[in-house]
Amino acid sequence: MSVRDAVDPWEALRGLPMGQRIELSDGRGGVFVGSVVPRHELSGERILILKLESGYNVGVRIGAEASYRLLEPTPTPERRAEPRSPAEGGPHAAGRWITLLATGGTIASRIDYETGGVRPVREEREILAFYPDLGKSGRVRIVPVFDRLSEDFVPADWATLAEKVVDAFRDGAEGIVIPHGTDTLGFTAAALSFLVRDLPGPVVLVGAQRSPDRPSSDGSSNLAAAAAVARDRRIGEVVVVMHAGLSDTRFAIHRGTWVRKMHSSRRDAFESRNGPVLGEVENGEVHLSGPVRSAAAGPARAELPLDDRAGLLWFYPGLDPHRAEEFVRPLRGVILAGTGLGHVALRHLGWIRAATVRGILVGMTTQCLAGDSDPYVYATGRDLLRAGVLYLGDLLPETAYAKLVWALGRSNDPAEVTRLMREDQVGESPGRHPARGEPA
Amino acid sequence: MKAGLEVHQQLSLSKLFCACPSELSEEVLGTVVRRLRPAGGEDRAIDAAAAFQASRELRYRYEVVPSSCLVELDEEPPHPLNPAALDTALALALLLNARPVDEITVMRKIVVDGSNTSGFQRTALIATDGHLDVDGRRISILSVCLEEDAARKVRESGEEVTYRLDRLGIPLVEIATGPEISTGREARAVAQEIGALLRATRRVRRGIGTIREDLNVSADGGHRIEIKGVQELNKIQEYVDREVARQRLLLEIRDELARRSAPPPDGRPVDLTGLVDDITSGPLAGAGKGSTVVLALALPGFDGLLRSPAGTEERLGRELADQARALGVRGLLHSDELPAHGITEERVREIRARLMLGAGDAFVLVSERSRDRAELVLRRVAQRANAARSGVPGETRDPLAEGRSRYSRPLPGRDRMYPETDIPPIPIGRDRIRSVERSLPERPEARRARLAREHGLDPEVVRQIVYSEDEEPFEELTAHGHAPALVARLLLHELPSVTRPEGSGPFALEPVTLDALLTAVESGRFAKEGIPAVLSALAAGAPDLDTAVERSGLSGFRAEELAALVDRVVRANEELVRRRGKEAFSALMGDVMREVRGRRDGKEVADALRAAIARIADGEAPPTGTGS
Repeated sequence: MSVRDAVDPWEALRGLPMGQRIELSDGRGGVFVGSVVPRHELSGERILILKLESGYNVGVRIGAEASYRLLEPTPTPERRAEPRSPAEGGPHAAGRWITLLATGGTIASRIDYETGGVRPVREEREILAFYPDLGKSGRVRIVPVFDRLSEDFVPADWATLAEKVVDAFRDGAEGIVIPHGTDTLGFTAAALSFLVRDLPGPVVLVGAQRSPDRPSSDGSSNLAAAAAVARDRRIGEVVVVMHAGLSDTRFAIHRGTWVRKMHSSRRDAFESRNGPVLGEVENGEVHLSGPVRSAAAGPARAELPLDDRAGLLWFYPGLDPHRAEEFVRPLRGVILAGTGLGHVALRHLGWIRAATVRGILVGMTTQCLAGDSDPYVYATGRDLLRAGVLYLGDLLPETAYAKLVWALGRSNDPAEVTRLMREDQVGESPGRHPARGEPA
Repeated sequence: MKAGLEVHQQLSLSKLFCACPSELSEEVLGTVVRRLRPAGGEDRAIDAAAAFQASRELRYRYEVVPSSCLVELDEEPPHPLNPAALDTALALALLLNARPVDEITVMRKIVVDGSNTSGFQRTALIATDGHLDVDGRRISILSVCLEEDAARKVRESGEEVTYRLDRLGIPLVEIATGPEISTGREARAVAQEIGALLRATRRVRRGIGTIREDLNVSADGGHRIEIKGVQELNKIQEYVDREVARQRLLLEIRDELARRSAPPPDGRPVDLTGLVDDITSGPLAGAGKGSTVVLALALPGFDGLLRSPAGTEERLGRELADQARALGVRGLLHSDELPAHGITEERVREIRARLMLGAGDAFVLVSERSRDRAELVLRRVAQRANAARSGVPGETRDPLAEGRSRYSRPLPGRDRMYPETDIPPIPIGRDRIRSVERSLPERPEARRARLAREHGLDPEVVRQIVYSEDEEPFEELTAHGHAPALVARLLLHELPSVTRPEGSGPFALEPVTLDALLTAVESGRFAKEGIPAVLSALAAGAPDLDTAVERSGLSGFRAEELAALVDRVVRANEELVRRRGKEAFSALMGDVMREVRGRRDGKEVADALRAAIARIADGEAPPTGTGS
């Protein structure tokens, strides 16, 4: 049938179901045969996107002179779906299992052709479709927990994850893998380190810097390495496993409280700051080299609730003390990422003194993201110390924030919160910063 | 029969999705190792070609060169598409009378052979529906695309393939003609015309490998077959004829299988490891010995259809064997070629009994160390045999030297393409088209007319210049004031005649060196006859022009030395000169030139010799020379 009536052809065309095959004349001499696919959210006005028979997508501007004809769908060619082994390992699989707590993020995202961005997968089935090899080295149970990108996480989600970790260990998992978006993966790793104690096995957070709809995704190799670490009985702490370099061959094991995303796009974006990596995975084998916390007898327990009335404030030269004061007012504690050894401008002393007097914890870290904070070297530090600032040594700002969220949940007494913050809980402060000379 | 061409040309601009220079490099800073796995597109279908490549499970090593960046390593999102490359593609589209699309969507074409670090090639359809007139015939242009070139394969060993990143991302224009080419001669003319158009933009890279052609062929009732990377245009006719014959045979086999009501092969392998262990020759020699397994597959209804029928070299058996070879195994044996290779008639009967075959049935044998691999091969063979029931399967094939082509992988389909979401759609507005139109380069035919007119050159010489890569240097050098005839001779004859060691490729010089060379000739430093010697010296490794001139012995032959030489030759032949007068010139000129060795201009030498001859012939005593 030919459609050329009084109505604006754009109105008719935009209403066609996705996948509808048409022959389109743009009225300017161009004729296209293809199926209607979603418009990109940045597509121009009155642009219809057609997937041509060649596979190319083209955008055609639909003017009043355009016309089209509906066509039968192309017969779909035979699909050769590769056989997929069930992740549970089948009836013959013996031994224990690891539990995968799916949260979303790039590692479990696929392209959204409408927005052009990536969106999290929502089903276990989809995860298995991406990672058919996941079950090869042993049994895997998949528990969907969230389906969100990590920038959308809030501290309450850490509590949910902590409970799921405890549940999974109670149910008999030998280790846990948490695929997670990489943007805030460091925060979650630090938070879980404080929130879940007496771990009988590893809790491994893992992510991907390239979405799994790309053949080059690092997701599958990271996940395989994470699964290997999760099966390692020597480990009883929260770790992050990601690429150690740009090759798909070596994977670094980072302590959850020492790790930070240090690059926006590289596969090896995650680095252990101040302390060493705990080990590496190569050819599926786990090699430990750092001060690994051994597995506890268990059972794992969650230290909950947490209290998210905590803040993280990055000092900058133009920071207005009144703004800072307003920011801190509703909070029970704030972590400052100060300059250098842990400094802020002296004009901030007023609100800081007032806050600490009111029992608000003000913790100091360094925005250098490497090295110690130290109040004694400069007069500013000594002034801040006198104003009640708690210097947190070489804790990363994010780790200090996560620790604070945990500590505030443990007690309403500011003195007790300060004590918890001051004490080493889970080896979160590397403390010792080895020197390395120039290569001889 | 229908054939179409796809011409791929590298542009001499920075890379398509990053700012790196489009230059090849021999300096390797380090390597990165990756693996790739197929991924689905919008409808989650995994493309057949992608799944096939991934099934080989190779490891890819990428050599990083000084000009590499994180984009090439797939460690950073692509930067916006290079606008100069897009404008060049648009200019070509307009020169080809094609219609630019209203909004460009950059696509990901899945390629998991490792040649792209991302596992896909970024490509965009820029224009459709153009045409080109070649020798009075109109050839349709289906599409003009802009894509990124793949990484350069350096070596392949076992499970690892090494690529260098330098070529990855170089902008590539792809021009596809309609399937209207019917002769090899026509294919060459079309390719030449497209090549001249591409060079007219002045933005193409030159030299070996910067332009590549694919051939699409389909016989009547057959299917489109893509023969990738045909190097010699002369061979196109042969590839086309062989491909048409192959497709005709496959169509006959299809009809015969239908007549026999052959069921599809079930693809279940039967283990014959104990039974077959006496193969003495052929692709399966030694099968069943040691730790190898022998598997067989029944092909019901295929008896007699695997061998070549009279009058053709094509055969279905070879198509099945090509499937096996594409998976990296040596090959297979089929029942139409048995008994042979040590397999007796008795053994064939036993095999047929084990497979429970009837009279019209056939079988194939494979042997491998790994059972999984053998089974994979047979699955592929079964699929191919099954496809024979519907005629010609669409395929990508590699051209072989002997004129036939060989299966390389399934024809990539639309499943292979999905949008590159990291690049927003690019609108092509009227303003952009108008601005491209304003700076459109001169068309080749106009350029031919102009060059002939401006330089008074022979039309055939002009044609050679415009249809070669020499056009740009020709224009550049003549614009510098060098004599057109001298430049044409240098580019068309003297440069291509320089011999180089085997395998080191054709000799090329930077325009600046050519310019200096011509200046040296014109300033009388040495004669144009000396050009071949200087070129040879440069080809042999002289670091610069001065050294080359020195090494060719062309420097320091002064006018007085020439006079002395002429004097010496004339005196030695005084009798001849006196007897024959001016006619002695041609006899003596050769002797003089041999000694001058291009160090002075030929005309100057001739004048000097004529003058010397005239002096003796007219009875003058020859002047006393200084001797040499």
